[in-house]
Amino acid sequence: MQSLGAALAFGLGGIGAAIGLSIVGAKTIESMARQPEMAGRLQTTMFIALGMIEAIGLLGFVLAFVLNA
Amino acid sequence: MTEKIAELLHELSVRPFSEHAAFSLTNYTFWLIIAVVLLLVFVVVASRKARLVPSGVGNIAEAAVDFVRNGVCVDIMGPEGKKCFPFIGTMFFFVLFNNLLGNIPPALPGTGTVGTTFTWAIVVFLVYNGIGIKKIGFFRYIKALVPSGTPVFLAPLIFVIELISHFLRPFTLGVRLFANMYAGHIMLGVFTVFMALALEHFTATSAIVLPLSFLMSVILRAFEVFVAVLQAYIFTILTAVYINGAIHAEH
Repeated sequence: MQSLGAALAFGLGGIGAAIGLSIVGAKTIESMARQPEMAGRLQTTMFIALGMIEAIGLLGFVLAFVLNA
Repeated sequence: MTEKIAELLHELSVRPFSEHAAFSLTNYTFWLIIAVVLLLVFVVVASRKARLVPSGVGNIAEAAVDFVRNGVCVDIMGPEGKKCFPFIGTMFFFVLFNNLLGNIPPALPGTGTVGTTFTWAIVVFLVYNGIGIKKIGFFRYIKALVPSGTPVFLAPLIFVIELISHFLRPFTLGVRLFANMYAGHIMLGVFTVFMALALEHFTATSAIVLPLSFLMSVILRAFEVFVAVLQAYIFTILTAVYINGAIHAEH
């Protein structure tokens, strides 16, 4: 039961993070194609957003370990 | 299968470096010290023959320092960012060297444990709040958590949300770096375990599992090198963003 909970915590957390990451990636590419001169600043902003979204997915990962321990 | 995975997790867990260690030297801190010594050697070698046109190691060091100073500090914080470069640069190279050393097989990444990453995250939290408070004073800094122009009845709610988000920052900063390093090494380990199992009971399936696992572990190793650099970058850029938020708190 605990293992199942751990797997669900990571799996469901991963879904949310994956959707968020794909939106960020797609929009950044779109914006870069429209305004190539902004590419540098867009990339920086993308990495910031990417880092924040990633944390949500990884919280699930940590939670999975906590539940399984 | 299960005992091999348990063995892998034990290998990656924090434990004393040796049974005879009289002080608390763990397997992670041992490699952390090695990484810091390597960083020191790198910096000394790179700066020994400082010239107008650098060559060799000096070139790499100069490009990396320029990247952190202009690409991170000045880009995000404006000209004021140069004052924060010593702190942000130290952090970037510390995290980068620890992350990269973890990719050489017997070594573990010094940043792959909560102790290291949370210490850095708490230091970052204290530094950026300290900069903000020093710049505009404690009460004005607290007041600046609520953006000007917020309706009065919403202000308490916004204030509480902002406060929680500020206290979550060191937590997410620490967890992100730790989990990336730790998860990466577990992934590498799992494919190695597959290879070991395939060799142990060699059947028809092993002929497929073995090359695929080998290929996967090679690809993942390359990916881990990329992640090591990316995570060092994200850690520094988020610190720069937090400090920028504190410097320009009243806007």
